[in-house]
Amino acid sequence: MKRLSAFVSRLCSWFKSQFTSRHLLTALIEGGRTLIAILIAYLVAFAVIGFVSDDPEMAIRWFVFGPLSSPTEFGEVLKNATPLLFAGIAACLIIKGGNFNMFTEGAFYAGGLIAALAAIYFDLSGILAIIIPLACGTLAAMLIGYIPAKLKAKYEVNEFVSSIMFNFIVMWIGVWLISNVVIDVTSGDNATAPIPDASRLRILFENTNVTTGLLIALGVAVVAYLYMFRTRFGFRLRMTGDNKAFARSVGIDVGRAGVSSQILGIGVAGLGGGVEILANYHRFNWKTLPGFGFDGFMVAIIAKNRPLLVPFAALFIGYLRSGADLMAFNTDVAQEVVQIIQGLILILVASEAFFSSAWFRGVIAKRMFRRKQLAPVGGVDDHA
Amino acid sequence: MSLPILRMQGICKSYGPGIIAADDVSFSVDAGEIHALAGENGAGKTTLMKILFGMEKAQRGEIFINEKPVVMADPNIAMAHGIGMVHQHFMLVDDLTVAENVSLGIEPKRHGLFDREAARELVRTLAERFDMPVDPDAFIRDLSVANKQKVEILKVLARRADIIILDEPTAVLTPQETKRFFEQLTALRKAGRTIIVITHKLPEIKAICDRITIMRKGRTVGTYDVASISEQEISRLMIGSDPLPEPILESIDPGPVLLSMHDVSCLSPSGKSALRGITFEVRGGELLGVVGVEGNGQRELVDILTGRKTAYAGSVQLAGDSLQGLSIARIRRHGLSFIPEDRMKDGVDLDGSLVDNATAAIRDDRQFNIGPFQSDRKLDAYAKRLAERYEVRHESLREPIRHLSGGNMQKVVCGREISACKTVLIADQPTRGVDVGSVRTIHDHIELLRQHGKAILLISSDLSEIRTLCRRAIVLHQGEIVAHIDDLAAYTEEELGLYMLGLKRQRTTEAGS
Ligand SMILES: Nc1ncnc2c1ncn2[C@@H]1O[C@H](COP(=O)(O)OP(=O)(O)OP(=O)(O)O)[C@@H](O)[C@H]1O
Ligand SMILES: [Mg+2]
Repeated sequence: MKRLSAFVSRLCSWFKSQFTSRHLLTALIEGGRTLIAILIAYLVAFAVIGFVSDDPEMAIRWFVFGPLSSPTEFGEVLKNATPLLFAGIAACLIIKGGNFNMFTEGAFYAGGLIAALAAIYFDLSGILAIIIPLACGTLAAMLIGYIPAKLKAKYEVNEFVSSIMFNFIVMWIGVWLISNVVIDVTSGDNATAPIPDASRLRILFENTNVTTGLLIALGVAVVAYLYMFRTRFGFRLRMTGDNKAFARSVGIDVGRAGVSSQILGIGVAGLGGGVEILANYHRFNWKTLPGFGFDGFMVAIIAKNRPLLVPFAALFIGYLRSGADLMAFNTDVAQEVVQIIQGLILILVASEAFFSSAWFRGVIAKRMFRRKQLAPVGGVDDHA
Repeated sequence: MSLPILRMQGICKSYGPGIIAADDVSFSVDAGEIHALAGENGAGKTTLMKILFGMEKAQRGEIFINEKPVVMADPNIAMAHGIGMVHQHFMLVDDLTVAENVSLGIEPKRHGLFDREAARELVRTLAERFDMPVDPDAFIRDLSVANKQKVEILKVLARRADIIILDEPTAVLTPQETKRFFEQLTALRKAGRTIIVITHKLPEIKAICDRITIMRKGRTVGTYDVASISEQEISRLMIGSDPLPEPILESIDPGPVLLSMHDVSCLSPSGKSALRGITFEVRGGELLGVVGVEGNGQRELVDILTGRKTAYAGSVQLAGDSLQGLSIARIRRHGLSFIPEDRMKDGVDLDGSLVDNATAAIRDDRQFNIGPFQSDRKLDAYAKRLAERYEVRHESLREPIRHLSGGNMQKVVCGREISACKTVLIADQPTRGVDVGSVRTIHDHIELLRQHGKAILLISSDLSEIRTLCRRAIVLHQGEIVAHIDDLAAYTEEELGLYMLGLKRQRTTEAGS
């Protein structure tokens, strides 16, 4: 009992230290900025819808409220958000380590394919039927992703270029495999054999398509946060990403930190690919890259590279896309409107100068001076 | 005297809730004077000058140039009013050459295209006139800190500013260079230019400035005629009390040899011979100073000792183990720590918090790790203690370190490295940009480290710093040790100067002892 109360009081003081008025204010400012960006993007989207649609009111209603209209529809939002969450976490790890490795895209593909094959050919039962395929998919992605990462660390090969090429190598090998080697001709498609039921992820809520994959994704977000901000490995990763010369001079092996940041990100993307296949597909039949890898970078930017904000960013993009789907299905507006919104939000969120926090702080500070609430010299309160 | 050419009135600046950098500051400068701006680290000097130069916006206050109000919305406006600024932290493009950097924005044109030859010529004439030799074709990224500083100064001179703001221009210059630079400043004053200098070196203020304005904690203490105020009074007005006395060097029995170089030679990146036959050793409890004009091999010496340069001949030993082929990480694990010369590049992670920066060197220590996790509580406590000990003025432990003033950042770097030192400390310009009070604090900590039996190598362009801290020193000239000095106090500055300029050298038998 005593230990519990001590723990609670420590927790409280931790919270206090994290959320002092100044931190809260800064967080509000940052959040407000993102909200304003979203609002502006929506207004532009509405204008576009109004321009192209014969019944703009209907279209906007489907777009905005459709995803919230029933549990089933909201389930679609969560389903759409799940791979984005994996991809966003993957991108966080990669960006924070100072890299721009686009192989997350190929990792989704490879992770999905290998997970499907492992599920089909090992034909396990029980919990292993899920764990083993996912682990195989993740490891396979990491193994392939090691090549561009190491090429960068060792020979300074630009990882952006090499990873994009690897995406296509992986994809075409995959397409060749499902067209020639592991093809199940009875499917009438270039696809693998059906994935056994034991390996399909369970549905969480009735009448929805939300699977346990969502829980895995949330778990990954928490683990990624702990790794990046609470361990010494994460510290090395962040320092290397921020300033390589500094990291090197305080004794961090920047080559290794850079490689591990990329490998871990790619592993998360590979896991995301596996989850996506085991959750939503009867067979593996991807003939193009799924696009989640690229989306991940967008999600990470909106979440300001903070793993714990990624779920919210992913949820938002998922909601946006569900709304677009419903609007396209029910009205005469094409789905592509959502691209406009995404693009605008991205530009507004990413452009530092737009309502920069410095500008916001300036406004607040100005009011402070106007009210003559100057803190006495030297008496500036310190919450640290 | 004439009307003030420049007047700042009632300037208030806050960087956010609770962070007040200027609180109703007024400041005025007369035409044709050299005006010093002094104050402890974090007093708000740089902030005030950035406001004047249009880089930061004040929430309140007015600026008058020749008694006409001006809104300094951005640096272009400031430049149009004849204001030029040499920044404390370099604003140079690393991947451009010296000539390109100096002419950036005022590019000489020929047939509408950039005239490279004219730009080179511009740098050459300016460099010659102001006695600041730099190679116009060198890339900024390859330059030493001192040379970068010279480029910064040339950049402003090339723009023919009437009011020149110099934010710690001499922090990285050698005394000789400083002297010549000051002669040039005096000449500029004679030509009618107005100069504002921020500096922590009080003798410099006495030597060339007409008036001084002292700031403390975001407010002006007052403006004084330099002739009527003593150095001691200035420092008292700056920090509110007398600075601590310099540490008294207590002698202790030297321990085992912890750091040694034997017959080390290496080439500079351009293929010239940079070090030749360097041999010395430092024992535990010893502090060896490296004296020499900047650019005579100090950089290569430090790079070899810290594992950044691996191509060299000869042997280097750290606590009995050879350094050959070891990575920086391994060398650090052997107990070496080092204060790098370029704090903005190698010394801090500007986006990292104060905690991140203060603890970067001890993160792997067992006491800060619980299984895979780090103890935030212990790390915070460590950083907080460090900030207290080294008088780092900060608002919060979590704020990015880029919000700290230059001198306070330097204190974080010093604190981190001195605290983390297990066997050997390489201190490369440790007190650059630090105010008089805190210089003493850092010196105290270095001296304490020595008394605990660590070996310390001190590289400093400030001869008086070496003289206060070291008994033994080596003098570098063109990559060679021209003198081993066992009792620094027995030599005058003039004698040392002769060695530094290569006009005199010990005979080899003597030097080998
Ligand atoms: N961008 C910023 N954001 C928040 N606070 C800042 C920022 N820049 C400076 N400060 C704060 O403003 C105060 C004044 O800083 P300033 O750089 O003007 O000091 P300074 O007098 O130039 O010191 P030094 O001698 O160390 O260069 C400091 O307390 C610093 O922490
Ligand atoms: Mg400053």
